[in-house]
Amino acid sequence: MTPKDQDKMADHLISPITKTGRSYIVLLFALGMVVTWGFMAWVYQVYTGLGVTGMNNNVNWGVYITNFVFFIGISHAGTLISAILRVSGAEWRRPITRVAEAITVFALILGGLQIFIDLGRPDRVFNLLLYGRLGSPLLWDVNCVSIYLFSSIFYLFLPLIPDLGILRENSNITGWRKDMYRVLAVGWDGNPEQKRRLEKAIGIMAIAIIPIAVSVHTVVSWIFGMTPRPMWHTAILGPYFVVGAIFSGIAALIIAMAILRKIYNFEAYLKPIHFNYLGMLLLTMAALWFYFTFAEFLTTGYVGLTEEWEVFRSKMTGQFSLLFWFMIVSMAIAFFLLALARERWPIGSTCIASVLIIVGMWIERYSIIVPTLTKYDEHGHAAYIYAPTWVELSITLASLAGFILLYVVFAKLFPLISIWEIEEGEEALKTKLEDMKSYLPDKVS
Amino acid sequence: MDELRRSILKVIGVLGLSAGFPLLRTFASENVVPNEPVSTPSSKQLGLVLDIDKCLSSAVRDACISACRREHNLPEITANPERKYKWIWTEDFGNAFPDHAHEHFSETLKKQPVLVLCNHCSSPACTKVCPVSATWKRKEDGIVMMDMHRCIGCRYCMAACPYRARSFNWLYPRPDIKGADNPVYPTRTKGVVEKCTFCVERIRLGREPACVEASKKVPGGAGALTFGNLSDPDSEVSRILREKRTICRQLGFGTRPNVYYIV
Amino acid sequence: MNDKKMIILGLVIFLITVTYPFWYTLLAGAKVSRPVLEKPAGETRCIEEKAFMTANHMQLLNVWRDAVVRNDIAEYTSTAYGAKYEMSLTKTCLKCHNKREEFCNRCHGYVNVNPACWNCHNEQKGIN
Repeated sequence: MTPKDQDKMADHLISPITKTGRSYIVLLFALGMVVTWGFMAWVYQVYTGLGVTGMNNNVNWGVYITNFVFFIGISHAGTLISAILRVSGAEWRRPITRVAEAITVFALILGGLQIFIDLGRPDRVFNLLLYGRLGSPLLWDVNCVSIYLFSSIFYLFLPLIPDLGILRENSNITGWRKDMYRVLAVGWDGNPEQKRRLEKAIGIMAIAIIPIAVSVHTVVSWIFGMTPRPMWHTAILGPYFVVGAIFSGIAALIIAMAILRKIYNFEAYLKPIHFNYLGMLLLTMAALWFYFTFAEFLTTGYVGLTEEWEVFRSKMTGQFSLLFWFMIVSMAIAFFLLALARERWPIGSTCIASVLIIVGMWIERYSIIVPTLTKYDEHGHAAYIYAPTWVELSITLASLAGFILLYVVFAKLFPLISIWEIEEGEEALKTKLEDMKSYLPDKVS
Repeated sequence: MDELRRSILKVIGVLGLSAGFPLLRTFASENVVPNEPVSTPSSKQLGLVLDIDKCLSSAVRDACISACRREHNLPEITANPERKYKWIWTEDFGNAFPDHAHEHFSETLKKQPVLVLCNHCSSPACTKVCPVSATWKRKEDGIVMMDMHRCIGCRYCMAACPYRARSFNWLYPRPDIKGADNPVYPTRTKGVVEKCTFCVERIRLGREPACVEASKKVPGGAGALTFGNLSDPDSEVSRILREKRTICRQLGFGTRPNVYYIV
Repeated sequence: MNDKKMIILGLVIFLITVTYPFWYTLLAGAKVSRPVLEKPAGETRCIEEKAFMTANHMQLLNVWRDAVVRNDIAEYTSTAYGAKYEMSLTKTCLKCHNKREEFCNRCHGYVNVNPACWNCHNEQKGIN
């Protein structure tokens, strides 16, 4: 890439920041309205009590906890793509890392918010810090998610620094924004010593964040696993949730990429091959997810322990069977789309599959939480099935809108595609060729 | 090199702080030790023995349930039966003892009412998971206690209890309190969990729980509920457990309940 | 240098506004009075001295709460008088201070605090 091409690329990638169209303002307003509506619903909930939800003394956890697990699951997008692909030297990650890392941070924030919303006494939330009991999986969760949030913010910021330097130098950005980028760029000027240190720091964070991410969703699963409730108390829950998290994370990433590609005309950067490769990862995770699901249900159903059997039956053939089988069918359609249509139709097939998967994974969380808590009579029939109310639905929609809103604001302030990493990728072409030559056998003398 | 070390130290600092503060506070707080959730061998474990046959009498059951309701100002919930306040309540035998109600149990027997309450387990699932020690197992008498001032309403204890023995204040309770007027016992506020506490406030004064006392006043209710110290071999409850055939609810959960039923 | 005038004007307005409680009270003088509390009839003393109770009754109640609920200790010995009392808001404090409007709420309203105790704890005559 010539310096002129580099400038053109930089300008194109910075254009969402410098140019604000009317549709952006409209989107901002629309999202703001949804968020405000959800906020008012929450205020009503705090004022009246959690009785405005559909929960009761049997199904005492519902949509909010489902959303919590769902969002924390989505947050594994950033780690997988950014960290694992960086550590394994996969060059195709370059245009994707920033999108992924941003998803992680915002998903974590929204996920933590769901717990706060679910509390009966949110004014006492600081009791968690003042009187926190380390024996409680919820406290493990508070610890792990906090660590993950701070690490992710740091891990989002580090590779952002060179781009902040580019923004600082850009002639189209003036006034308070230029000052903001100057401060945030923390004195970056691109000299070799700085580059070396940055690479080292990013490398350390990339390696460190992988076990942190694994620990987060394992600990979330242990919130359920460490209770004696039927189909919660199973050893497979830890790995199952981690697999599910990475699974839904990649799906969310694909959807985000597809949308951003269209809105900001990023077709030259987010190419079919990226969707193809992500689709391959998604297919792998789908296979793993099916394996774990099959293992769990076969084990539970084959033996049929007393309390577990009625939960199992309610999911397989009973009152939750519609939800359960809808999920299985969605995942199966996604699986076959990915396996068969991915090569020839990468973006379309991966996007449709991802939407099916995201919906399926939300249903999966729901169908882990609610059927176990439901009270069945001796014939395995539940007199009362939990149904969320308008408050829970409003807050869920508002959470989704809030997530998108944070993203949209982020896109206005920072480039969604890592400019310097792509430039670095171009420069690395030569060294990569040398690397690949070294894999082949030496000349026999 | 300094820069790199500095940035590494910053990373460790941030990670450490975000993890360390809750850790530090927990260790610094005196609440770590006294609120051991899992039972330690204590000199006293209070327990209850119920006679299933004697409790078939609706007079006995109603007396127990309304005594508890009056003593603790329990609200009456008619709108949504799934939100009833359950400190002591009635379950069908098939629901209370699913591991005993086999296929050839007659429907009549399966539908027989059984008085159930918090089992004040020796290895309670609920106290293990409370993130703020709002519920714990008391060392002095083995009661699984509730501190409504500390509770943040996360309802984790409710999710963990396999006996569904806990109730949540979904709305402000006072408007629904009818005909129960014990001004000495506080009502609770919305957003906290509550449950049977073996009438801790009466035990302190040397009395028995309200349900036990009420059952004795009903004709034919003597011996329906027996309360005492399970660790004392000379207590009435210990004598009954030695001489009669008794079962517990769902021992398979490993919670080691301390409420026994004479079959 | 136009800014200088505006800044000084702004500062003056700010200072006047921020010190309003002080100069208003000074000027109003006798019209503002401390709340008058209706003391319980027939009692000569509280469990501790008045000055101590005024300053510390909140802290005392917190200590009592934790002692009774969390540590199963119910007996309190008065440091001023040596007498023993049961640690209970309703049974001990409200036994004498049974008119919440005329006693508790007067000070609480004056200093604009809203103790959450009344959401759960009752006076002896009944649940409100």
